[in-house]
Amino acid sequence: MTQIIIQGMLLSGLYALIAIGFTLIFSVGRVLNLAYGAYLMIGGYVYFYISQQLGLPKGVGLVMAAGVGCLAGLLKYRFIAKPLKGNHVAIEISTLILAIVIQSGIILMFGESTKILHSLVPGIIRLEGVTAPWSNILATGLSWVLIVAVFLFVRHTHTGRAMLAVSQDPKGAAICGINAEWINMVTWGISGLLGGVAGVFFASYTQLSPFMWVGPLIVTVAIVVVGGIGSILGTLVVAHIIGFLEIIVVSYIAPELRGIFTMLLIILFLIFRPRGLFGREELT
Amino acid sequence: MKLIETKHLIAWAAFLLVLALMPMFVSNGTLRIFIFANFLAVFAISWDVLSGRTGYISFGHPFLIGIGVYATAIMSKRFGVPVEYSIPLAVLVTMLGSVLVFLPALRVKGSYFALVTLAFMELAYQLVQVIRPDLTGGTRGIFGIKTITRGAENGYYMSMCLMFGIAFVSWLVMRTQLGTALSALGMQEESVEGSGKSTTKLKLAAFLMSAFIAGLGGAFYAHYVGAIAPRTLFDINFLFTIIVAVLIGGSGTIIGPIIGAFFLTFLLEFLRPYLPGAGRYFIYGGIALLLYMYQPKGIYSIVDKLIKRWRGGAV
Amino acid sequence: MKPVLQVKNLVKRFGALTATNDISFDLHEGESLALIGPNGAGKTTIFSQIMGELRQSEGSIHLYDEEISHLKPAARIKRQVSRTYQVPRPFAELTVLENIRIGHMPNSIWSMLTQQPDLDYERELANKVGLAEADHQRTPAELSMGDLRKLEMARTMATDPKVMLLDEVFAGLTTAEVAQISDLILQMRADGMTFLVVSHDLPALKPLVDTAIAINQGQEIARGSFNQVLADPAVLSSYLGEV
Repeated sequence: MTQIIIQGMLLSGLYALIAIGFTLIFSVGRVLNLAYGAYLMIGGYVYFYISQQLGLPKGVGLVMAAGVGCLAGLLKYRFIAKPLKGNHVAIEISTLILAIVIQSGIILMFGESTKILHSLVPGIIRLEGVTAPWSNILATGLSWVLIVAVFLFVRHTHTGRAMLAVSQDPKGAAICGINAEWINMVTWGISGLLGGVAGVFFASYTQLSPFMWVGPLIVTVAIVVVGGIGSILGTLVVAHIIGFLEIIVVSYIAPELRGIFTMLLIILFLIFRPRGLFGREELT
Repeated sequence: MKLIETKHLIAWAAFLLVLALMPMFVSNGTLRIFIFANFLAVFAISWDVLSGRTGYISFGHPFLIGIGVYATAIMSKRFGVPVEYSIPLAVLVTMLGSVLVFLPALRVKGSYFALVTLAFMELAYQLVQVIRPDLTGGTRGIFGIKTITRGAENGYYMSMCLMFGIAFVSWLVMRTQLGTALSALGMQEESVEGSGKSTTKLKLAAFLMSAFIAGLGGAFYAHYVGAIAPRTLFDINFLFTIIVAVLIGGSGTIIGPIIGAFFLTFLLEFLRPYLPGAGRYFIYGGIALLLYMYQPKGIYSIVDKLIKRWRGGAV
Repeated sequence: MKPVLQVKNLVKRFGALTATNDISFDLHEGESLALIGPNGAGKTTIFSQIMGELRQSEGSIHLYDEEISHLKPAARIKRQVSRTYQVPRPFAELTVLENIRIGHMPNSIWSMLTQQPDLDYERELANKVGLAEADHQRTPAELSMGDLRKLEMARTMATDPKVMLLDEVFAGLTTAEVAQISDLILQMRADGMTFLVVSHDLPALKPLVDTAIAINQGQEIARGSFNQVLADPAVLSSYLGEV
């Protein structure tokens, strides 16, 4: 039982961080960025390259992962989302193609085989017969720090509040003189940054592979669909529902079935309650 | 109404003759590339009949194809059902399965529909590994499925006939009023409803047709390769290959997906000596992305424009 | 004589907002009724309820004595009531004739597959609404606003209605085009078509309709002959209030 609670908390915190970056773009631009999973991969490989191949300090690797993720987000906005503005399906198809291109690029540079990341910090903690690596606890802790930072940013800075305004009512925001293009760019940048960092944590939690982007992408989609558009709180709650469901399925039923409730949730929610648990009613 | 112009008919007859004589001139290896291009073209046509026409983007097409593949493989390998029964039955099962995907299409559109179909594909991938692994072969898949062709030449003719048969029938269907109505559905669903046409019936027709083609293609594919594995089937890379074939060739047409499938397959073969392995997709995906962003109607429309300009200049 | 279309106590609520509040009217064969009122009065919402695009909260809608409230739009159109849209939404990549074909083709998958399109009928209809022969193979992007309205009329007529609901058919048209569409409506009236018309162009509306109902904020404020309604103080103030 304690085992499940600890593992569930660790996984869910990670999922929450992953989903926040995705939900930002979905809320502000109403766009599904199917290449979001590729940010994670980019982040993971940048960290791997800098910290393990070049042997620089792990902190440098983490910062670089965030930076390159952010850059990837900005480039994606400039060269895909902006030119295809308004055509959501086209953006989704393009980002899907881009994800495959990035995947192939990674294979070209690093090969197809999976890689193991060294732990962020060494050691294992034992608590009432339950073991957990310090590294995972640190990852989840840092995830929470970032989540709180995003929350404070959105609530208490001018740019953050403008993001909120654009997500709630793009036309109204434009009338109030908010530069939607700037806001979109900031959002894509932040999303990429969060994705890059989340990628390092996710890769150290599992492993590094050119195909590691699909799984988290689907988990993220599920969290956003079930949580509903534009709700950070909803994202956090649902991240925990899905994280715990996965851990419970893995512990009590079968590890192969870990994603089954995630898929079922996506299908059932999209059919019966498309606005999700905490989402606003879409006006149009 | 005249079915086809004489001069087009002659061009097509000549083209088919060249294809029929192909095995006399090229190696078995090249023939195998043709075979894969043919199967990809079938899947691309299937995707286009649904998504290219009606605008309901399916991100889970491998789900439909997979039903056809698994249905015939299980029937033939585990229960000894003869291929002449297992293939039609597999097509039927695929069409039934498509109703599952059709139901969400009544409620959600656009991105949401695409997501549901993606979830269906991943769900199928996970379920097929754990539910009755004695039948599905679990993670390893099914080997030693009865093959219906022997040698590359045989397979070449089989796949050519299958592909052109499906393309021809689809072409016939799409030039009827049903084809016009399906295209109209993709442009303005509300106006189709406002013209007194049941969009539910039209969508169902599109799903069933698409599933028919996917099931047929999938079933023949299973009996051509003789072995299937869940990871190569219910896979986002497979989905990518299908969608990109349609988009590169030109969606909303029959010839477009075929052009796309051949372009894709042969481009990958061309790149093989320089970039073995998955790295080829880097170049290929890059071309696909640029083409899709700047010419969303694909090669077909580029060729079409060139021909019109050339004719315009000649007059 | 029984009315063709009978709307009784129609109420439509969107949450706290009542868009249509207790609207009733009868429409007899060959009659022509105008619904007038300021923007947001609820005219188009009434159309949507008659066509089944929106389901009313209360009240009934009878077409030829049959209660049609439970029917889907396609089934209502089959019972020969059809509407045009304020903003024409043509099929962008189909030609003019193909646009008309969508309205005219049967609503059965099998018939769609087996029946040839009736090209003569499509041409005749296109000519009837005043779309030039040269426009027949054009796509909507190449048409003017006036021609788009004509196409919208033609597509609606192609569903073979006996009752037509026209939503702002004159908006964005030149004087010459208004006259053209007016002539078309008058001609169809002479052939026995029943009309329910919404328009802001009151002078253009005047020769086309017998009676009018003025609506403001979802509620009927006046009814009678067209001139009578226009002279009504409540109607005047509702329009002035808008300005």
